Amino acid sequence: MNLVLDFPAEAYHRIWRMRLRSFLTLAAALCAGCWSLAATTPPLPDLPKLNMANTLPAVRGQVERAYLAARAHPRDAEANGKLGMVLDAYEQFESAAVCYRRAHLLDPAASRWLYYLGWVEAARGKYEDAVGALRAALQIDPGYLPAQLKLAETLLVAGNWEEGSVIYEAIIKDHPDSATAVYGLGRVHAARGDDKAAAESFQKACEFFPAYGASHYALALLYRKFGDTPKAQEHLILSEQNKTTVPPVDDPLRDAVRELNQGPLAHIRRGTLLEQAGKTQEAIAEHEKALEVDPRHVQAHINLISLYGRLRQFEKAEEHYRAAVGLDPDRADAHYNYGVLLFEQGKYREADQAFRKAVEINPFYAEAHNNLGSLLEQQGRLVEALEQYRQAVQNQPEYRLAHFHLGRILVNQNNYDDAIQHFLKTLTPEDENTPRYLYALAAAYARSGDREKALKFARKAREQAAARGQTRLLTTIEKDIRALEQEGAHH
Amino acid sequence: MAALALGSLPQTRNRPSRPSSLETAIFREIAAEVGLNFRHFNGATGQRYMPEIMGAGVALFDYDNDGDLDVYLIQGSTLEENKKTHLPPGWKPGNRLFRNELSETGKLKFTDVTERAGVGLTGYGMGVAVGDYDNDGFQDLYVTNFGHNFLYHNNGDGTFTDVTAEAGVDDIRWSTSAAWLDYDRDGYLDLFVANYVDFTVKGNKRCYAPTGELDYCTPKIYRAMPSRLFRNLGNGKFVDVTESSGIGASYGPALGVVCADFNGDGWTDIYVANDTAANRLWLNQGDGTFKEAALEAGAAYSADGLPKAGMGVSAEDVDNRGIEDILVTNLTGEGATFFRNDGKATFDDNTPQYGLARPTFGFTGFGTKWFDYDNDGWLDLFIANGAVTLRESLRAIPHPYHQRNKLFHNEGEGKGFRETTNIAGPIFDIPQVSRGAAFGDIDNDGAIDVVVTNNNGPVWLLHNQTGARRHWLEVRLEGVKSNRFGIGARVAVLRDGQKPLWRWVHTDSSYLSANDVRVHFGLGERLEIQGVLVHWPDGSEEYWENIQPDRIIALRQGSGRTR
Repeated sequence: MNLVLDFPAEAYHRIWRMRLRSFLTLAAALCAGCWSLAATTPPLPDLPKLNMANTLPAVRGQVERAYLAARAHPRDAEANGKLGMVLDAYEQFESAAVCYRRAHLLDPAASRWLYYLGWVEAARGKYEDAVGALRAALQIDPGYLPAQLKLAETLLVAGNWEEGSVIYEAIIKDHPDSATAVYGLGRVHAARGDDKAAAESFQKACEFFPAYGASHYALALLYRKFGDTPKAQEHLILSEQNKTTVPPVDDPLRDAVRELNQGPLAHIRRGTLLEQAGKTQEAIAEHEKALEVDPRHVQAHINLISLYGRLRQFEKAEEHYRAAVGLDPDRADAHYNYGVLLFEQGKYREADQAFRKAVEINPFYAEAHNNLGSLLEQQGRLVEALEQYRQAVQNQPEYRLAHFHLGRILVNQNNYDDAIQHFLKTLTPEDENTPRYLYALAAAYARSGDREKALKFARKAREQAAARGQTRLLTTIEKDIRALEQEGAHH
Repeated sequence: MAALALGSLPQTRNRPSRPSSLETAIFREIAAEVGLNFRHFNGATGQRYMPEIMGAGVALFDYDNDGDLDVYLIQGSTLEENKKTHLPPGWKPGNRLFRNELSETGKLKFTDVTERAGVGLTGYGMGVAVGDYDNDGFQDLYVTNFGHNFLYHNNGDGTFTDVTAEAGVDDIRWSTSAAWLDYDRDGYLDLFVANYVDFTVKGNKRCYAPTGELDYCTPKIYRAMPSRLFRNLGNGKFVDVTESSGIGASYGPALGVVCADFNGDGWTDIYVANDTAANRLWLNQGDGTFKEAALEAGAAYSADGLPKAGMGVSAEDVDNRGIEDILVTNLTGEGATFFRNDGKATFDDNTPQYGLARPTFGFTGFGTKWFDYDNDGWLDLFIANGAVTLRESLRAIPHPYHQRNKLFHNEGEGKGFRETTNIAGPIFDIPQVSRGAAFGDIDNDGAIDVVVTNNNGPVWLLHNQTGARRHWLEVRLEGVKSNRFGIGARVAVLRDGQKPLWRWVHTDSSYLSANDVRVHFGLGERLEIQGVLVHWPDGSEEYWENIQPDRIIALRQGSGRTR
């Protein structure tokens, strides 16, 4: 396996571009806290004792190579620092800090070891050490924006917002459109109790980066305080939609650490993100890479059942199902994914067995109960289907599809009151299924004899179907509305 | 003058005295010394089944009404029947009830009365909630498990009866914390049961540390299970109102629960700490339904708008404003979150402002509560810590999740908290995998003690050595129209020239645990008490005068006067 241990040259160019931009402003802001790890030249700490006995062989090999290099060249900052980076990549922050400290002492002129040290110390909650290292890194290289932001953020989290504010203001002077810095300054204002200034900052941060979830959240809470409920609501919705989205920060130093993580989890994480972005092929590639590192990784196989199924590559999907159950026969989600795959191929009997296996392993598996219900309903076994749907909503009360199925069967059994209760639970949140659910609710009211409510919900269904361009459904709804209106006229 | 209802509870024996030495540690661990011999067993086989790392809880309650707090400890078990696990020496299966045999001289001694009491449940235990659901004057137990839950009725003769089936309060899912509250103000305690995720032993998922070692999973790997609310019908039966009350509409992997009137409308609300999901604030609408309002209230997330791994929770009046604030303990790398309440259930994350961000960041917090350990009138804070994923530096040891517990002193008047862990006592230097924590005055000396459970470790009784040096008052309520122990009542000590001290009656909060139902007031150096005011859960208000400090008093509903 190739290890990306060398620091890429292209990364250096990007760093230098950033450095030049804000050298002067930050120098002044940092002076007060001048600090250097090397100032008193402490003795070189011993290399950390690593106990990697139970770690994944691929990870162990990567760490061992870096460790041996550092041991072979104990006075080489690069070798020590690179061991730190490998450990850092696998979140071994305590050991990584020791290596970064050694690297810094061996090469006090390099800012990157201090930056890394500051970063891992912050991750460990060692705020004083983190602030000290980051300040020292910025004394050497005042223009590195990610280090400036990390220092300001660390000061803020540690409750030292006055010093944090100085750093944020200095950053904003050089990078006036830095949404992260503007948001950070907003948090300083909020901590000081200056709500007006805080709101202005958060507003500005949202303008610079409209998908900034944290800034929308902070703004929403301030609007709530100001009594402006509609605006608070608007920003709460935006914060929920963009909960984990933050402005990207070009940080080639941290990218170099991240790239060192070649563990299966990192691949699966990347694969999951790609899947969410609709990039199925790329998601598959990441999962296959995870299996190259660890062929026994059950979750990678399980995800691949679904991913290959989506591309209708059923043989590949089946292959991964076999591999998953070979490794762990009791993974309910493997059987569930396989059931969906079989269902899509029209293999209903086999799908039924797969879903049954899933609920046998996990009796609380709502989706498996729902799918079993659908299969039973297909066979006309309504009583059993009803029970499966009930199990689904019992374990996932907000499961709209299962409520919808329940409602449909209950309508057919003339149990309108219960059916209506289930249909009502399908109405929020609104999405492309809402017109269908509203229409079902209207039909239930109509059959129960409540023409007024039937018309009300049918009209809502019409409105929603029209807004979503669901023309076929719209035609059917309109026909029924006319029938209901005519019936009303007769009465 | 209104009639003063001083009950027959033992009066204080230990008068306030001056410190003998400034060096005295705040707490001293005395569990084994006083016969509280219990070791939690998590049944770990190396498969890293999630319940192994989550338990267990403890209750402090006076089961025999002899005036002192007894201890009920929840035990784990094996999750796989056929797997061989290493049992700790002298280990007894099942939960244990220890009777407090406090002597007249204040000497503590505990006796294991589990067998006689009939509460030695041998399931895979999680938590416990304490409340007198039938108002017979004896507190009952609700025990949560990974598996079926149990309601034990206290028969009043030292024994309990399993009434789960007839009461209708079982839940076969993985339940964690539970809370008793009178949400409909009918005088009977209702029951909230927090449920966690859909983990099953058979369907165990193998999760890994970033380095590839097998480790415990995050709850995100599983699906959250809905929590439940049971309404007490007053005839020994409960009805599941999860759906009709609205509680079922929104849920997360729930671990901690605390019930209080967060918006001051006189109706008890419910706050739920969720692990890796938005916390929930259920505002009681006063008509049998609840409205989820955490997001709008600012109590769902920390200031950055992100969910944290909520575990334990405490709600108390931190700044003596008469308003309940909330503290949620979270995962290592997140730190605890302090939500300051403006009195209308509008919260701000004030964690750094109160000095709690930095010292809690590197710790996974579970059991927690605000309580006044030095009786200075300001509520201090204890957090029980213990990781849930392996700690890098402990990799070589078998149970690598140990962390130190933390203690904080309230500096008063909104000045926030100062960490006092280093002077709290030698036990605070010993890292453990702490989970539950129950708070109460175990020797009736006016100082609040803490019982801490350790996952796969011994129970700790942290005896408060210094609190009783200042004045204090403890109040036990006796409801007549309201529920018998006055759960949900708010009690104020009024003093000339000083702000009233408001505390509320509850046994919930912390993590998987139940606290002393008596309310405790630290009074500082001042002896004078103008009176005690009680806002009962049924909406009525009563006032008592001529209250002397440094004692435990009982106030019966109807014996005070209207102000």
